[in-house]
Amino acid sequence: MSKQDGSQRQVSAPTVDSSTSPILHVDLDAFFASVELLDRPELAAHPVVVAHDSPRSVVTAANYPARRFGVRSAMPLSQAKRLCPSAVVLEPHFEKYRHYSRQVMAIFDDMTPLVERLGIDEAFLDVSGAGRVLGSPGEIAQRIRERVRAETGLACSVGAASTKFVAKLASGRAKPDGLLVIPAAETLRFLHPLPVSALWGVGAATEKALERHALHTIGDIAASPRSALERSLGAALGAKLHDLANGIDHRQVTPERVEKSIGHEMTFSTDVRDDDQLRRELLRLSNRVGERLRRGGLEAGTVALKVRYADFTTISRSHRLATPSDLGRTIYTEARALLDALGEHPPVRLIGVRAEQLAAAGGAPLALWETEPGWRDAERTVDGVAQRFGLDSLRPASLLSSPRGERLRED
Amino acid sequence: MKFQVNRDVFSEAVSFAVKLLPQRTTLPILSGVLIETTETGLRLSSFDYEVSAQTEIDASVDTPGTILVSGRLLADIASRLPNAPVEFSTEESRISVRCGSANFTLLSMPVEEYPTLPQVSEQSGLLPADAFSDAVSQVAVAASRDDVTPVITGVQLEVSNTTLSLVATDRYRVAVREIDWDSGDRDFSEGVTALVPARTLQEIGKTFGHSGTISVAITNTDDREIIAFSADRKTVTSLLIKGNFPPVKRLFPDEVDNYAVMNTAELVESVRRVALVLEREAALRFTFSIDGLTLEAIGSEQAQASETIDAHLHGGDMVVSLKPQFLLDGLGAVHSEFVRISFTRTENPNKPGPVLITSQSSKDQPGADSYKYLLQPNLLLR
Repeated sequence: MSKQDGSQRQVSAPTVDSSTSPILHVDLDAFFASVELLDRPELAAHPVVVAHDSPRSVVTAANYPARRFGVRSAMPLSQAKRLCPSAVVLEPHFEKYRHYSRQVMAIFDDMTPLVERLGIDEAFLDVSGAGRVLGSPGEIAQRIRERVRAETGLACSVGAASTKFVAKLASGRAKPDGLLVIPAAETLRFLHPLPVSALWGVGAATEKALERHALHTIGDIAASPRSALERSLGAALGAKLHDLANGIDHRQVTPERVEKSIGHEMTFSTDVRDDDQLRRELLRLSNRVGERLRRGGLEAGTVALKVRYADFTTISRSHRLATPSDLGRTIYTEARALLDALGEHPPVRLIGVRAEQLAAAGGAPLALWETEPGWRDAERTVDGVAQRFGLDSLRPASLLSSPRGERLRED
Repeated sequence: MKFQVNRDVFSEAVSFAVKLLPQRTTLPILSGVLIETTETGLRLSSFDYEVSAQTEIDASVDTPGTILVSGRLLADIASRLPNAPVEFSTEESRISVRCGSANFTLLSMPVEEYPTLPQVSEQSGLLPADAFSDAVSQVAVAASRDDVTPVITGVQLEVSNTTLSLVATDRYRVAVREIDWDSGDRDFSEGVTALVPARTLQEIGKTFGHSGTISVAITNTDDREIIAFSADRKTVTSLLIKGNFPPVKRLFPDEVDNYAVMNTAELVESVRRVALVLEREAALRFTFSIDGLTLEAIGSEQAQASETIDAHLHGGDMVVSLKPQFLLDGLGAVHSEFVRISFTRTENPNKPGPVLITSQSSKDQPGADSYKYLLQPNLLLR
């Protein structure tokens, strides 16, 4: 879709009528990079790339000056350096991103109870009920942008429209640091010139299929007979794209999706053969998952292990716990058993642990005796220390030597 | 090889031999049943390196020999044969089975690759079959089904000179029962223990339930600890689980003066009814007072349920939160018209004391058996 570097930026005049566009999509601009630049304001006009500086690293984020050189997230760092040799590489600080994310989301919550968070740096807001108190959607969007800048120093872009997907397209076009309002009556005029790849649900394969039928723009799709689309793309996808192309999107803004699973994974800078190292990494990831479970007041019913080998074959294994747990220790024991059960295996590129079938904590029966007395207290204590002094300030002895810089990417 | 055998006798023997075979095995040969001719008939064996089953039956043998055939297939065939004598004969590796109008041809697996079954000669003691079968069914319900902790997936057998005690736990409940044990002239005053996989023991209990007396042998050869149960020309052996069973017997209170007595069937019915609205894994709330026992399920937002039944309370009022399935397992195991639920005291303010379930032959008379089922309540929420 858009070129991500702001070169096709499109914003609204302050006079545009936003009363028919109550769905806002707010997206923080180059979030990770912008947060890093808060500490290095002198680099703001410079190309900046956020990444661990190691041989197999990928770009976590890039600011707009770097994007103009063609640098994109998830691109290998080596390639980014070739494209933009002058770029400054900054280490990511995920705790900071979480901190700023919470601050920004709190601003959204002040505007309307209907906030649907999408990851760490974007959200949908339905402000149709807020109009009388706070003003028109356009005014609310402007107020959000001002507060975010005043309270965090970050820039965000807002799309306002009558449906979620048009709002998201609009915020993408408004970047960086812009506001684009698409009144309901203007929806089709805005949509139709856009390429088909801008539609939600159109990936590379679908795009190719559409191109075979000479459908290049959203307008082309809107003009095609619905039945023809259903024939060539399948009934469900064909009908969906036809609706979207005609500006029809019935999805509501749904606040707080219940988390279905909590997982952490890790790509190694060089493929790992040593099972001890894999186990150590599992322990670290499991503790992280346990910490998030406890913070969310949740317990896992199932533990899943994901392993990606050097040749990119990916293996998933899961095991149902006899009783739900929120202990990193228990998650590690299960994940490790799943890893050990793989037996002989090729070098590992990525390893991940996921807690699934989550339920509110406290529902599980108590045991007559504790198998590992004190573990719960120990992990709670670690949580407390982490809250005051930062993640990893207190960790298992086996993880003391693990070099933090070795980590590439985590989510 | 060639023999004739009675259809029902053969079918029963095959079904016994395959019962303990694992559903899936890594070695195909272990899914077979070995049939050997003996002087008086046939010996059928199965073995998967953990569990073995062997039985002898009468048959008229024309030509001696040994064959190895797929156990499940043979059991399916044997159970569907018409009511007529069964005749087996072999020609090289082909086995032909004739019974009345039906003919089957099966392929024999390589007999020479089949492992030798563990032989247990010495005898450790004798058990009354009906009491043993009863005790196994009562105790094994509490065994863990989670292979992560192998030790508690077994039932612990503890032998003294005159009694055998069975213990099982999954950390949430403990079930115990003692039965008579005749050790003959052997001395077990030091005590001997054997940790037998619960699933295997349950099959053994069912198989030997009507056998009168079961002979038991516990042996240790080549660092492999094995227990063998024999009766009615049938023998089952099992490897013992290694490891130390947790000392759960000390969790039982010496004396409890706070308890309630209910009609077992009435309580079971009520628990099943009220639990209908519960979400999975959720607990029921039980309030014992002078007015009876009130069961409450506060399930989802959509549904709630409650019911009050008769209960004779001794001591103070009590509220506990129990997982219905755990309670039902205990109620199903007491095998008595009435049941006593006793409330133990606790030193730990964050953890309610366990409840003890025992049999009760009438409202006032405790049951005669030694069965005890200890259950840890959930936290009382709200």
